[in-house]
Amino acid sequence: MIKTTNLSKVYRTEEVETTALNDVDLEIKEGEFVSVMGPSGCGKSTLLNVLGMIDSPSGGTYHFLGEEVGSLSERKRSNVRKHNLGFVFQSFNLIDELTVFENIELPMLYTKVPNSERKARVEELLEGMNIMHRRNHFPQQLSGGQQQRVAVARAIVNRPKLILADEPTGNLDSANGDEVMKILSQLNSEGTTILMVTHSQYCAEFGNRIIRMLDGQVVTENLVKQYL
Amino acid sequence: MLYNYLKITIRNLRKYKAFTLINIAGLAIGVACCMLILLFVVYELAYDKWNPNADRIFRPVTEIQFGGSHFDLAVTGSPIGPDMKQQFPEVEAYCRFRQYGSYLVKREGEDQQNIREEDALTVDSSFFQVFPVQVLEGDPRTCLTQPKSLAISKSRAIKYFGALQMAIGQTLILDNKENWVVRAVYEDLPPTTHFKADLLLSMNGNEEVLNDTPLWASSNNFQTYILIRDGVNLKDFEKKFLAFSKEKVNETARRIFGQDISMLESTGQYVRYSLQPLTVIHLFSDKTAELQPNGSIQHVWIFSAIALFVLLIACINFMNLTTARSAHRAREIGVRKVLGSPRTALIRQFLGESIILATIAVGLAVCIAALVMPWFADITVRPITMPWGQPFFWLALVAGIAIVGFLAGIYPAFFLSSFSPIHTLKGQSEGKRGGGRLRSVLVVFQFATSIALIIATAVVYNQLNYIQQKKLGFQKDQVLILEDAYALGDAISAFKHEALQHPAVETATISGYLPVPSNRSDQTFSKVRAFREDQSVNMQRWVTDPDYIKTLGLEIVSGRYFDPERFPSDSSAVVINETAAALFGFSEPLGSKIYSPKGRIKGDQVPDDFEEHTVIGVVKDFHFSSLRDHIGPLSFWLGDSRSYISIRYKAAETQPLLASLENSWKRLAPGQPFAYRFMDDAFSKVYISEQRIGKIAGIFALLSVLVSCLGLFGLAIYTAERRTKEIGIRKVLGATTTGIVRLLSAEFLKLVLIALVLATPLAWLFMDRWLENFAYRIEVGWWVFVLAGIIALLVAFMTVGLQSIRAALSNPVKALRNE
Repeated sequence: MIKTTNLSKVYRTEEVETTALNDVDLEIKEGEFVSVMGPSGCGKSTLLNVLGMIDSPSGGTYHFLGEEVGSLSERKRSNVRKHNLGFVFQSFNLIDELTVFENIELPMLYTKVPNSERKARVEELLEGMNIMHRRNHFPQQLSGGQQQRVAVARAIVNRPKLILADEPTGNLDSANGDEVMKILSQLNSEGTTILMVTHSQYCAEFGNRIIRMLDGQVVTENLVKQYL
Repeated sequence: MLYNYLKITIRNLRKYKAFTLINIAGLAIGVACCMLILLFVVYELAYDKWNPNADRIFRPVTEIQFGGSHFDLAVTGSPIGPDMKQQFPEVEAYCRFRQYGSYLVKREGEDQQNIREEDALTVDSSFFQVFPVQVLEGDPRTCLTQPKSLAISKSRAIKYFGALQMAIGQTLILDNKENWVVRAVYEDLPPTTHFKADLLLSMNGNEEVLNDTPLWASSNNFQTYILIRDGVNLKDFEKKFLAFSKEKVNETARRIFGQDISMLESTGQYVRYSLQPLTVIHLFSDKTAELQPNGSIQHVWIFSAIALFVLLIACINFMNLTTARSAHRAREIGVRKVLGSPRTALIRQFLGESIILATIAVGLAVCIAALVMPWFADITVRPITMPWGQPFFWLALVAGIAIVGFLAGIYPAFFLSSFSPIHTLKGQSEGKRGGGRLRSVLVVFQFATSIALIIATAVVYNQLNYIQQKKLGFQKDQVLILEDAYALGDAISAFKHEALQHPAVETATISGYLPVPSNRSDQTFSKVRAFREDQSVNMQRWVTDPDYIKTLGLEIVSGRYFDPERFPSDSSAVVINETAAALFGFSEPLGSKIYSPKGRIKGDQVPDDFEEHTVIGVVKDFHFSSLRDHIGPLSFWLGDSRSYISIRYKAAETQPLLASLENSWKRLAPGQPFAYRFMDDAFSKVYISEQRIGKIAGIFALLSVLVSCLGLFGLAIYTAERRTKEIGIRKVLGATTTGIVRLLSAEFLKLVLIALVLATPLAWLFMDRWLENFAYRIEVGWWVFVLAGIIALLVAFMTVGLQSIRAALSNPVKALRNE
């Protein structure tokens, strides 16, 4: 699904040049659940952003589903993104002015899913996530766990091939964190590929492969099963 | 998706109420100003366009430089129309107007009261061919062909006869002596006509036309309108007309001065004709003897520019507030981008939001405009109303919404849609990053405009004050002018005598010539007994009684005024003003002789006999026309001119005096209307257009300051919010409340100061040019700029200071805990 070769990302300001990704070679196959770990500033989030096509690489190649996407225009990247990717963030990033239902529905507006189907899919997810009773509430009326469940529902409503999760449990207590991880595992078992950035070894181990990064480079790759 | 955008917009507007209120209020005020002024501009541009012949009608006009005087005239001699019709096959018809002032009009029969009619014109029978207003009764082609025939407007027909049909064949008595028969009733002229006419009197049999000389330029009393045939090349026709008019002027020069016009032109004197299109008269013509005070294209431009500025200021508020509070929208932008929204969709979304806001604002603006319309119509002196029934109005509203929405929303749309999702989704606000400098520039623009308008208002009022206070050379206060004094007939002397018996009356004079709008007459006089262009002075010829100078408070520099004891020797005497004495080049004016032709030019016979006049006095120069013009040459003559009786009276006795005068009037002139005005009011009315400009500039200055402050207030709220943490830290580190207020306010006050520096030279340049309209004017003093600066700074400080104080008084612990 994903194949990068010598992928690099350099941030330049007037005086400083920071290499966030340094010749990253990475391959992720369909159906994998890959966790990315490493200290703060090691380039995990940058990798997630580049692979999620919300940032463009400075060098190297990035193939997504066999197509080189690193050099695509912003418009084309957003087109690939809305049809294939789902995002889950640490701080949920729900839109405060939209209700739970509307937040989940939003990605389908961009992919032009018909109204009746949108309604059906949102209701199915609300049911599945056990938040049906909250459908007309606004995000600030929900608990953190509920907000992250909404965010996950929003990420998967378009049935993406890949979910990119940036510390999805970072803002949650352990019970709610567990809940979210179980949902992600469930999605993975149903065939969705997941790439997750986390600081938590516990969460990382929900995946089947762990990539460790340092100073913009992938230093080790381990299969989780070997630890278990 | 549209529904989604709409939902989020409405929820945002409701959530941030202060922001919504400031934006909508500002935009509504700006749009209402624009709407009112656009309606005014549309009205002004519509003048005479109702006439289906409008593009084919031209008015020959005259420019004369002769005998030390310059004339820019809307009138010509009476022969021009017939001469052109005869000379040019291109001329389909001509129509001459002669305006003789007001008439006292009554129906035939006992007990009929006179009514004063201001808007009467003597016209050729082709009137309805050139100005095809609908004739409701009578035949438009023949109604004015016979002498003593008249056509009256529908409103006058109803006023005099109760019904249109009743009017035809009836007699109206003009000025108590002339019987005129009503031959037609026409629809009232549209108010967008450059002249008013409720009574049209047939030119046929008019003595002035019958006796007028065929020589061009020797007398100019007729407005002439030429209707050109369809399909005529106007440029060619104009060339032919110019050549023809030159030939005619040359003929006059040869006949009167015995030499070619080129000789006159070599001394800098000239007579020039040109053709003025009908459609430019209202906005571009400000000549002597216009039929009505015209509009001014300059005012149209000034009003339009002011409206545009107020609207821009309001749009800038929108831009500034939207970008300043962008942090609130950052997450949404990030999420939408991540979910696959292209930037163009976001731009569309934010533009859509500003268009929704603009729609609300325009709706509110329509209400505001409708509410203030009567007042606006009053200050613009135009019967403008809200054009509810006109499709262009609704189309213009839709266009207005699109323009305002786009203007206000385009920058924020680009600014907001440029946010990087990487930063926004991490909660790093991009609002802090960009837009700050541009916001400052925009605030500077807003305040520069406001300050310039404050300066303009101050200058206009200062100049008007200068005019009111200026020593005019005559005393305009405590003078009552009684109109239509000729209606007293033989009783006029008795009336004056009775008036003088009243204890409040100091002195009174009978004359049609006053240093406020009244009769005017000019004539060429010569230093020798012949028409010599280098010995002649063209000057005003005012006929007065001996009490004139006392009543008007004029000052005699040398010699004396007329003396009734010395009649008839004084009947050939003349009193001139200092300018006339200088133009004649008299080293000792007293006893000097000047000459005027005996009798009028009859046919093409130029009189060769001249009358001798002795200068018996010189009057100190006084402003007898507007302060826009320099004082010209003027002469006084002893005689009978009965248009007005002017009465100088003692202060605080006005009402009893008026009652007493009215009693005398009614007794001596039964059935004649008693009308009066005060000389100081009549004087002020000369400057009504300047007063209007002053009023409008003042109002718009106030509005622009108000809208600018609304924006500044909004910005101050967000600045305080953005700097909450900084304020907390500073307070923890020991900053005082005053220090914090100073810190927060200084940022904005600095911008207002920059605006002052920028606005000052621009406003000075513009107002200096405006003041050039006046021959007598003020210099723009430095204090005007200081005043404008102080007002702007004070208002800005009050606006920002309040927010700064609130921020400075907030609990630092709370601010830091929030972080």
